[in-house]
Amino acid sequence: MIQKKVCMIGASGVGKTSLVSKFVHSMFSDKYLTTVGVRIDKKSITVEGIEMTLMIWDLAGDDDYQRLQTSYLRGTSGYLLVADGTRLVTLDQIIEIQARVTAAVGAAPFLLALNKADLATQWEITDERMADLKARGWNSFKTSAKEGAGVEEAFTELGRRMLQPA
Amino acid sequence: MTTLGKAVGQRTCQPLPVTSPPMRESPGDALKEYEELRRLLLSRERGELDELRDQLANKERRSQDVAAILPAAVKMSREHGGELAGALRPAVESSVRESIEKHPETFVNALHPIIGPIVRRSLAESMRRLLQSLNQSLEHTFSWRGLKWRFEALRTGKSFAEVVMLRSLVYRVEQVFLIHRETSMALLHVAADPALSRDSDMVAGMLSAIQDFARDSFQTGDDSTLDEFRMGELQVWIASGRSAYLAAVIRGNPSRELRTRLEEAIDSIHTLKGSALANFQGDTAPFESLRPELEGCLETRYAEKQGSRRPTRALFIITAVAAFIAAGLLALGLAKTRWSRFVRQLSSTPGIVVTDTEHNWFAKSAVNGLRDPAAADPAAIARAAGYDPARIDFSWKDYLALDDASVQRRFAQRFQLPAGTNASVHHGVLTLTGTPPYEWLDRVRHEATLVAGINTVVDQGAKVSYDRNLAQERFEARFGLPDSMNVKISNGVLVLNGEASHRWLTRVRAEATNLPGITRVDQSGAADLDQRTFAQSKSIIEHAFVYFLVNKDNIATEGFAALSRLPDEIRRCETAAHRLGQDISLEIDGYADAVGDAAANANLSQRRADKVREFLLSCGFASDMLEAKGLGKQEQAPDAKPLPEESDRRAALKVITRPIASKP
Repeated sequence: MIQKKVCMIGASGVGKTSLVSKFVHSMFSDKYLTTVGVRIDKKSITVEGIEMTLMIWDLAGDDDYQRLQTSYLRGTSGYLLVADGTRLVTLDQIIEIQARVTAAVGAAPFLLALNKADLATQWEITDERMADLKARGWNSFKTSAKEGAGVEEAFTELGRRMLQPA
Repeated sequence: MTTLGKAVGQRTCQPLPVTSPPMRESPGDALKEYEELRRLLLSRERGELDELRDQLANKERRSQDVAAILPAAVKMSREHGGELAGALRPAVESSVRESIEKHPETFVNALHPIIGPIVRRSLAESMRRLLQSLNQSLEHTFSWRGLKWRFEALRTGKSFAEVVMLRSLVYRVEQVFLIHRETSMALLHVAADPALSRDSDMVAGMLSAIQDFARDSFQTGDDSTLDEFRMGELQVWIASGRSAYLAAVIRGNPSRELRTRLEEAIDSIHTLKGSALANFQGDTAPFESLRPELEGCLETRYAEKQGSRRPTRALFIITAVAAFIAAGLLALGLAKTRWSRFVRQLSSTPGIVVTDTEHNWFAKSAVNGLRDPAAADPAAIARAAGYDPARIDFSWKDYLALDDASVQRRFAQRFQLPAGTNASVHHGVLTLTGTPPYEWLDRVRHEATLVAGINTVVDQGAKVSYDRNLAQERFEARFGLPDSMNVKISNGVLVLNGEASHRWLTRVRAEATNLPGITRVDQSGAADLDQRTFAQSKSIIEHAFVYFLVNKDNIATEGFAALSRLPDEIRRCETAAHRLGQDISLEIDGYADAVGDAAANANLSQRRADKVREFLLSCGFASDMLEAKGLGKQEQAPDAKPLPEESDRRAALKVITRPIASKP
């Protein structure tokens, strides 16, 4: 059984924890996030016939009060960046965070989840921004923690990428 | 020689100019010289070259050389990397495999000293733990403290196990995680209680996170590690290694030794799996083999010095129980053996056939079968075998045993074998030997065949013993002694004096010599009473003349007297004859006197005889014993004394005897 550590990274309030909760059944309470700054969950998936266990480290949101603790990133095989599609600013934040993550752990597979896709009317990310992201080489998924859309796919795709040799 | 020596000196300084010698006399000489020169110059090198050639060509020498440098070469090769080991591995592996296949016993012998102690230690350890936990539970079950704890459990509502744990446990390592330092993943997890092993991966992750958190929060630097933390009764101890660390979850207050143990474990894990840890890519399978290392850390330590304390109570109770069981089994076995011995003994007793038995411990036992009444008493056999006959229900059906032993026993019961006498029975033949007393033997001869199973008595081998003085007594006991008879025995001769019945005398004559001490019977002085009676009676009957009137068949007055005596006398005569074994019949002869013609006389004499016959018939005598004959005028013998005339007119009787047996 292959185990992989995966980190959920994003600004506060973008819905990282909600995405994980949609994806797994958790054993620890949300309180860990505000105390220790991380909550760990587990999810088994099958990618291209290979069964793997994702140890999902849901890191506390990065904001003015709590900086991302990069030590939690150590040993991660990949990470999921999460931004709130209805708040453009979170996308800017995630770009900045990603740079810090790369500095801390080096190149590792990652995906961008643009969350809250269910709130189409409030969507702030333009096609232009999307093209810009693509140009950076970022793969993005529109996800909805509320409706569950795109969540499974995002994790499976990340798993697939982690299995590929670097 | 000196010039040559100089030249040699120069040449050695200038090696090349050999090709252009200073002067050349002739090619042959030059070659010779050259050879000489070469010899002189290179003799040492040539020697060395030959030596080297020999060294190379001579396999033995080469082997010696290689042998000399091989250890150093191997050592050097190892220092420079594992290439040699890699190259040797396939050869060594296949040779070892082949060797094991061909000569397994060599390896068994070689490995035995190593594996033996390991297995023994492992077994001893398991046994020690078993005993310890048994001892613990026994102690808790039977001791005063155990009762106290039970009461406490009752009072506080906690489970007994919890109370025991609280009161007696020093510490217990409940879980051990092997966590990969880089990825924070649980490589392996063991737990004392399998229920605790849920979601070990996540717990491991959080443990790492907490460590990171602490490190980050208090800025202790990367090298520092969180060694332990505690919450309530639980604490987590961490033993760090280069690539992974052990986290032990401990309940209670662990001793410092435990830390050493954990550190040793993580060190040994790095030794065993160093490269796998360094190259960990998410596959935990290779670490499964480390389970024994981790399980070794799952220690439990109880209060009081368990180590030095021997689990004596458990041992004692186990020994006692084992002894009890063994004694029980032994007793059971013995009882069973004793019972079957008893049953066998019963079955082999002559005259007893056991058909069915039931041995009970508490209820009465039962024995059913057939028993000859003369057979030995089963109760006595039971008593001899150590059983109380009252506790056994014997149920016997009577039967006659015809086996020799039973028959003999039956005979002995009936006849009470006298001392000095032996009796044996074989196939219905009773053989007597020894010196049986006459009386006993006599009885046996007559009655032995009445005993079921005895058909014949053989006593030729027996020498009859008797008391000579008892001969007369014995005789009297056997024959009885009539009043008018005297008996005397002298020198084996039985002398009879007096009178006795014919029957008695006949019997004595025939049987007296059967008695020991009597060889002959002298009966010259003995009178046969019956014989005499018969003779007297016969004479009376034959002389009782019945007289008739002249020329008439009427009985004369004096004739009546004779006639009236006849019936009684005839009966007496008949009785006496019977005793002598004779039957009698009577011929009644009628006579007439000389007067008148012969025919008339014949008629008259017949009528007279008939008259007497009629009288006797009327007295109840059978007609076939009475024959009447008319003899007419009785012829007188010429020399006979003449009878009175009236005696011619008479009827007289003749008694005729014949043996009873001849009677149809």
